[in-house]
Amino acid sequence: MKKHIARWALKAGRLTSLRLLFSRRLVLLSRPLDHPASISKLAARSFDVGLHKTGNIYRQETIDCFRLGILNAHIGLLPKYRGRCVMEWSLLQGDPTGISVFFIDTGIDTGPRIVFSEEVDVSKRTSIADAKDYLFNLDAGFYRRAIDLLNSDSLTYRNNDGSGRRYYVMSKLFQAVTEECLRLSK
Amino acid sequence: MTSHEHLVSALRQRLDSLRSRVEQLSFDKFGEAAQYCETLGKRIVHEAPPGNDRFTRDRWLNSTGDCLSSLRELSLGQTVELADADAPPVAEFLQSLTEASRDPEKRFQLLVKRYSWPPNVSLAQEAEICEHLLMRLMVHDRAVIERRSVGAVDADDLLLKLNLVAVHAQTTSDLRFLDALNYYYELLPADWVPPAPYGWLLVSYFGFYARALLLRTSTSHEFAHRDTFQHTSGSAANL
Repeated sequence: MKKHIARWALKAGRLTSLRLLFSRRLVLLSRPLDHPASISKLAARSFDVGLHKTGNIYRQETIDCFRLGILNAHIGLLPKYRGRCVMEWSLLQGDPTGISVFFIDTGIDTGPRIVFSEEVDVSKRTSIADAKDYLFNLDAGFYRRAIDLLNSDSLTYRNNDGSGRRYYVMSKLFQAVTEECLRLSK
Repeated sequence: MTSHEHLVSALRQRLDSLRSRVEQLSFDKFGEAAQYCETLGKRIVHEAPPGNDRFTRDRWLNSTGDCLSSLRELSLGQTVELADADAPPVAEFLQSLTEASRDPEKRFQLLVKRYSWPPNVSLAQEAEICEHLLMRLMVHDRAVIERRSVGAVDADDLLLKLNLVAVHAQTTSDLRFLDALNYYYELLPADWVPPAPYGWLLVSYFGFYARALLLRTSTSHEFAHRDTFQHTSGSAANL
């Protein structure tokens, strides 16, 4: 049993989470994020910024619990690429891939304040799945840089002006073509 | 092979697959529309579709028939009698469509009434409605079908939206619309015969889909661009 607990705790991030929990710096919510009990718990902590990690779509009440808002490290270049499978759509359409860190609103990647965007080359990745994992795993570094920018005096938000398109989950047919696009980009 | 050639090759393979699927259909299961389905089915399998000139218009037109008869005639390349008309307002219509989000029969009737000439859906002022139809197909309907089954959605409502998106895919360079057709081709069971009054809309969707695939793979074809994006020359999407 102890062995199982130790193995569980050593998984990425969990040991840190336990430390935070014991030092009362981790807030556990037993209800959904938009439940009044959760809202009240979050609001009481007076957080400055939230960092998005899961697949939630947030209600305004939840976003309002954070003084500046909730940041999202979106794996597409805004404002052009909103929605799902944006890395794949970028590759298919011959556009650069990258990450945009922006403050979310209740829409799908429509929050107007982009903290920064940066192109990220995925051409050395072995597959679309690998390339996506690679981009998703860069989120911590991008969040840190976004927070540094928020702490600096030099930040000017770029406007997520709605000029792009909302993309959706991609068909298997186009996914296969996108794999070829990635292979050819090496 | 370049990425563009990969895309064209994939679309050609999909067209072959679509033709095989249509060949396997039992047209007699489509009731009173069996004859229409068989005629269109043969065209999909054996003939190249007409060009897209019938789909490209710069003004609102009404047909003397209704949306459903126009879809049938359009899919077969038949002549449809058309008359100039004023374009109906978009905002009110979108609101009605949104308000009817839980009432598929009403949504179906709203769309049928608006698009007596279905290619009107591709006019610039209809862009928001096109986006709405695409979103409903790729978010709500898709989620319901994937979580439950195709039987959990209203087949007429689903297929009418697919037909309108397929009509729009004839003239736009925006690949999201063609990919919605790709997605539903993969999602719908190959032997599915919609248990719905307008089940033949499945075959008309196949007809417009085949035409969109052929147009996309034809090098001489030029799309009516109303898009804001200019694709780079190296992209697969630059057809």
